[in-house]
Amino acid sequence: MLMSGVAEEVSSSATSSPLLSFMSISPTALGSPYSPWLRELKSDERGLFLIHLLLNCANHVAAGNLDQANAFLEHISLLASPEGDTMQRIASYFTEALARRLLRSWPGLYRALNPVAADSSATAAARRLFVDLCPFLRLSFLVSNQAILEAMEGEKMVHIVDLGGSDPAQWLALLQGLASRPEGPPHLRVTAVGEHKELHLHTASVLSKEAEKLDIPFQFNAVVSKLDSLNVESLRVKTGEALAINSVLQLHSLLASDDIAAARKLFPFKSAGTLGELLDKDQGSDSSSSPFNLTPSAKMETFLASLWSLSPKIMVVTEQESNHNGSTLNERFVEALNFYAALFDCLESTLPRQSLERLSVEKKLFGEEIKNIMACEGLERKERHEKLERWMMRLEMAGFGRMPLSYYGMLQARRMLQGFGCDGYRVKEENGCFLFCWQDRALFSVSAWNFRRVD
Amino acid sequence: MPVEFEGSSVMTMSNSASGETSVSSGHLAAAASLLPPPKKKRNLPGMPDPDAEVIALSPKTLMATNRFVCEICNKGFQRDQNLQLHRRGHNLPWKLRQRTGKEVKKRVYVCPEPSCVHHDPSRALGDLTGIKKHFCRKHGEKKWKCDKCLKKYAVQSDWKAHAKTCGTREYRCDCGTLFSRRDSFITHRAFCDALAEESARTQTNAVAVAAEKESKLAVTAPANLQEKQMAPPPPPSDQKGILQYLPQPPLAPVSMSMNCSNSSCTTTSCGSSSLFASTVATQRTSFSDLIGSMSRPEVEPPSLCLSSNGPSSLFPPAPDRRQFPALQPSAHMSATALLQKAAQMGAAASGSSFLRGFGLAASTSPLAAGGGGEAQWPEPASMSAGLGLGLPYDSGCAAAGLPDMMMGSAALFGSKPAATLDFLGLGPSGGANAGGLSAFINSIGGGGLEAYSSGRSSSPVKTWDGGGGGDVKANGRAIL
Repeated sequence: MLMSGVAEEVSSSATSSPLLSFMSISPTALGSPYSPWLRELKSDERGLFLIHLLLNCANHVAAGNLDQANAFLEHISLLASPEGDTMQRIASYFTEALARRLLRSWPGLYRALNPVAADSSATAAARRLFVDLCPFLRLSFLVSNQAILEAMEGEKMVHIVDLGGSDPAQWLALLQGLASRPEGPPHLRVTAVGEHKELHLHTASVLSKEAEKLDIPFQFNAVVSKLDSLNVESLRVKTGEALAINSVLQLHSLLASDDIAAARKLFPFKSAGTLGELLDKDQGSDSSSSPFNLTPSAKMETFLASLWSLSPKIMVVTEQESNHNGSTLNERFVEALNFYAALFDCLESTLPRQSLERLSVEKKLFGEEIKNIMACEGLERKERHEKLERWMMRLEMAGFGRMPLSYYGMLQARRMLQGFGCDGYRVKEENGCFLFCWQDRALFSVSAWNFRRVD
Repeated sequence: MPVEFEGSSVMTMSNSASGETSVSSGHLAAAASLLPPPKKKRNLPGMPDPDAEVIALSPKTLMATNRFVCEICNKGFQRDQNLQLHRRGHNLPWKLRQRTGKEVKKRVYVCPEPSCVHHDPSRALGDLTGIKKHFCRKHGEKKWKCDKCLKKYAVQSDWKAHAKTCGTREYRCDCGTLFSRRDSFITHRAFCDALAEESARTQTNAVAVAAEKESKLAVTAPANLQEKQMAPPPPPSDQKGILQYLPQPPLAPVSMSMNCSNSSCTTTSCGSSSLFASTVATQRTSFSDLIGSMSRPEVEPPSLCLSSNGPSSLFPPAPDRRQFPALQPSAHMSATALLQKAAQMGAAASGSSFLRGFGLAASTSPLAAGGGGEAQWPEPASMSAGLGLGLPYDSGCAAAGLPDMMMGSAALFGSKPAATLDFLGLGPSGGANAGGLSAFINSIGGGGLEAYSSGRSSSPVKTWDGGGGGDVKANGRAIL
């Protein structure tokens, strides 16, 4: 049979580089993207076809084959739509990202068409919508607050540092939790670190009002700064107060670094080929293969060290549970495809298609993240999500000790999900940390740490 | 039937057994005319009315279906109403036509089976239908069988009720227990994970042995589940939760599954190619048919290993069979499910048919450099779309400086890395695809695997590289 015959051949030629899977398609053979046949595809068929097209396209983009990539982009663009079904939406954002990636070959074009700074207020608004529409971040707030409350039992002076604080929702809930403590509320200070002063003002007013209502001595400070340039002195942590640090989807941006320069440092003596190849060759296959191979990040290490030096009683970290920090585009593409597919599915199950809010979250939050993951490099690429196991390693290396999250927190989380009214969300516990999942796919992780190493 | 209330009878009804406070008779006489007839009073469960009449029926009587008998002609009926209708036909004089007016004394029934709890009058059941069902369930033969899950029932109504819910909605806990009810599932999960967590955290807990054992079970159950998944196939679960069943990363099962699919590949390819030849040739093969045939593997245990199903179930050999159901009528698959399916199609022999449906012949000669897809267009004259996806590339680019990072994966999968790749019909030039498929599976499935088995060490997410023919020109359009 043809198969077996070829099998031998194929296995013997294992030395040659493997190509794309069976579905690699020659773009020329795709035919016209306007053929009527395509319009008659059913949703699932189209979805599968889109996946195939996307994979091929990403491949070509990664390899720099402009013509082929272009052909695929054309096909996909005609089938994808930000207002269609899940797969169509995903495809539309991924194609945009891939197209931008392709544009990098012409730096001038790239810069001209790319707004340097993403519209941050739109992103913040989209993030707030996401908090409302999906339970993930609310779960994170709940679980983090619970951990903080437990850690601060008996403390009279509590200081909370919120990295990237733009949403007062979490602290409103914490204020209520503190007010109902059996020993009464403590003195509470909240220091929010963020780039946008207006958001801080809003947060300040909201929280102060609530604290007054609950009769909690309260003080709010705002530090307007980027995380990587944060000076911990400005946080004004006083002696005698118990410090809690909270980071919701913020830490990963510190992993952004000038990768090429870093690689140069790692391999100063290698001169063969382009650095891109070098990175691929030496790090590509490894970066996600074994969790023990962390891409070292000086910035992260410094930052964590400075946090550690503040001796926080507890630090709660929420991050996306996916590896979007691979050094090769293909790696990131596949991971991102899986991750955002789950997120988009989640939105699809929770909200109707016409929902403008959903569209906004998809476009301004997820779409931007996808673009960043795929089309940006170096310091620009801020969405460097990594999986919990890696965060655990990084934090442990920085001297933090893990504090397991309590069972009560889990119960609360599950209760919240029950009340949420949409099936499919789950909370899993692993190694004392929580994973928030959609169906079986873990999407966000929450873990708690303190500055004492548990050795 | 209007209930007549006399003060006295009301008093007797509201007696000790019920525990309800009795209303004074005076009130009641007046009240009865104003209020709608009070609901039939129910005794507390397990405590029958003390002065009710105890009826003991023989099993034969209990199982008899026609217990309403016409006194005139002795014809039996299942229902009282039917009997009444029948009696009308006898032209009875007026008096005899009415039912006897006196209030029927409360009756309770005992089970005729001596060894049964309910044989004792103090444990009698208050309802005739209830005692009949009880007798059937406990002491009867289970004649009704559910065809999905093999559960057996003695009472037909039980069986019907079960059939409604069997397999429709299932919840599965991490520890492997299946639930049909959401509330029991949620309750279980609250405790199940607690047990797992507890046992994980504290070894020296002074917990009762039983609790410890329970927690151990919960902890080992996932391990068992893992093992089960490694050995194909996991028990079938027709929910769309394929995601749960991703085979674990370890190499052995995957290479095993590769072999499996290879064997099914070889055996089924004949069937499939003939299938396709016939369908493609004779009628317009729509994409949906192909997807339909692809959908088969999904319905079966969705592990990558297909041999468990036996090729026959995938590709029924009859040439005229149009077994391709339309794509799962359960509306739209989620994106994650589609990704899963794409990965599966990569693994399965069905992938070849997928491509063939696109107009790609199985037996293709190696592409000449720059030949593009033209050589590949077989039958699909009927395929109006002409979406002929030609084979990916020409040999020209095979060695075009592609990084060999996939060497690892090729080695991983042992001797048959591309056993399932060959259906690409790549011919001898298909060499460059070695490991590509496994790479792809890994990248889709493995990337997913990594996610799904969060925390477990996962197989490397291999990158893959495209090699689409660099100099294949855009002449495919000619086909249209």
